[in-house]
Amino acid sequence: MSQPPPNYDDQIVRRFVSVTVIWGFVGMLVGVILALQLAWWPANLGLPYTSFGRLRPLHTNAVIFAFTANALFAGIYYSMQRLLKVRMWSDKLSAVHFWGWQAIIVAAAITLPLGLTQGKEYAELIWPIDLAIAVVWVAFAINFFGTIAIRKVAHLYVAIWFYMSMVITIAVLHIVNSLAMPATLTRSYPVFSGLTDALVQWWYGHNAVGFLLTTPILGLMYYFLPRAAERPVYSYRLSIIHFWALVFLYLWAGPHHLLYSALPDWAQTLGMVFSIVLLAPSWGGMLNGLLTLRGAWDRLRTDPVLKFFVVGITFYGMSTFEGPMMSIRSVNSLSHYTDWTIAHVHQGALGWVGMTMFGMIYWLAPRIWYRPLHSVSLATTHFWLATVGIVLYVVAMWTAGVTQGLMWRGLTPDGLLQYPNFLDTVTGLIPFYWIRVIGGAMYLVGLCLLAYNLWRTATAPAASSQLEAA
Amino acid sequence: MSAREQDKVMGHAADNDGIEEYDNALPAWWLWLLYGTIVFAVGYTVDYHFISKRSQAGEYDAEVAAAEEAMAAVRAAAPVPTGGAANPAGAIVGDPEAGKAIYASTCVGCHGPELKGGVGPDLTDSTWIHGGTLEQITHTVASGVPEKGMLSWGPVLGAEKVAHVAAFVHSAGGGQ
Repeated sequence: MSQPPPNYDDQIVRRFVSVTVIWGFVGMLVGVILALQLAWWPANLGLPYTSFGRLRPLHTNAVIFAFTANALFAGIYYSMQRLLKVRMWSDKLSAVHFWGWQAIIVAAAITLPLGLTQGKEYAELIWPIDLAIAVVWVAFAINFFGTIAIRKVAHLYVAIWFYMSMVITIAVLHIVNSLAMPATLTRSYPVFSGLTDALVQWWYGHNAVGFLLTTPILGLMYYFLPRAAERPVYSYRLSIIHFWALVFLYLWAGPHHLLYSALPDWAQTLGMVFSIVLLAPSWGGMLNGLLTLRGAWDRLRTDPVLKFFVVGITFYGMSTFEGPMMSIRSVNSLSHYTDWTIAHVHQGALGWVGMTMFGMIYWLAPRIWYRPLHSVSLATTHFWLATVGIVLYVVAMWTAGVTQGLMWRGLTPDGLLQYPNFLDTVTGLIPFYWIRVIGGAMYLVGLCLLAYNLWRTATAPAASSQLEAA
Repeated sequence: MSAREQDKVMGHAADNDGIEEYDNALPAWWLWLLYGTIVFAVGYTVDYHFISKRSQAGEYDAEVAAAEEAMAAVRAAAPVPTGGAANPAGAIVGDPEAGKAIYASTCVGCHGPELKGGVGPDLTDSTWIHGGTLEQITHTVASGVPEKGMLSWGPVLGAEKVAHVAAFVHSAGGGQ
């Protein structure tokens, strides 16, 4: 297998990969518990700490900021050192970034079940933790741009542009949306109020999806997919155009979360049309990914890494088609507040983010532990479990969402609600909620296979002889 | 576009950790998709705000007006039963046993399985906000108290079922 590089910091990559799997397990386990609570209420356990309202933000925060962010950091630290032909600018800042970020995650895992929250979706964490996030992120940004400054190459590869868009935009989004006046150690008041607060919140919320769950993952795709497929990127020109179109358009699309609200009509229109124009730039990434695989499709049969990438990119294409459709006023009036939205975000989270990150980790493992992957067939099993799990999850939530939306708006010929008892619209969905539990559990079992596979790879004894063989 | 060579490399591989990039043109259908969405975005905005002059409030007003029109026809065809004296004398005699089943599926959510209330008021105490005679209870069930969240069940259940459920509430709840 690969030789240990002479001067690159691979320890930081190993650390980030390890915590990705640990936090991924926690976040997805809580997700399965929540799915169970919706199908079978006694799973709330009758305790405030384990009630749905407190565990739900724990699930979203763990999956977004612990699983995804740590995976991104692993991929970024690995690829940028190689793309810039230089070790990270400061190992100390790398360590501050790693340990600081893990401390923030632990703080989140303690405060959220205690019911300490700012009440902003995806920005629930209380102000002292928000402050810590800003400090650690800036430490990462200094190290990131410091490394770019001392690079030994003239040309900046497209992956680096995508990473840069994340580092800058997430800092701005997080700081502006978290602006608040502390009242006590655990409580604060946002500086924005009413409608302005809602608009800032969804400018943040939508672009957290854009610049944490989309652009950096595209950056990682641009590095790891051509490396794994050993094929040139399909189009340099397409990568430039879809990058700039994507980062320009994303920032305007947030108001589509506030259709049919107190937001002025013109702002709602703005959010809707910018979302629709986002379709082609998003598909530009999908195209460049899939077309890069020309000439490597036969390897899909044997290589689980490419399997994960292809399914991840396909889900990216599906969810970036569905997103613009859901931002159309008439579609949104049916889909909003229903499980359709849950189906949509999990195509992105389980399909695009999860599968792409798993592919990346399976490709990275032999290269950061310098020995072959323990079991390729176990990785393939993980792939099939995850794929079937996502399909069950998404199809169940599509069906539940459309059913729910139609039941809510159903009227009798006399003009009265067809389902005046709200409970009827809940009990009717329970079979779909059970299918979701099964799909989610399959995905979680797949992750456990990854954890076992990595553990066996990292602790395999015969590393030195393998090295010589390579 | 036709002059561009397919799969010509850019020559960045040395700077890109060995990753080569082709200098391929943008797929034509992708470009037209991009232009198409931009044209739609401009056209939709101009139409919504300046030509058709649509708005959220206007959409609501139009829906309410359409519903009013439809309801006027419904009301004309089937007057809401008001119960008691307002009904033709002795037309419907409520059966408390039949009313019990209707209560269990329709009323229990707000008034509770023991009629002790919850979202809606207690039906077993001696206070009758809208009157506790069979006639008054029938009227309350049929016409509802919309300002407090009690629906008008007359059009949903029909006069007969309203009579049954009112008879049940009157007997089980200790009406006057």
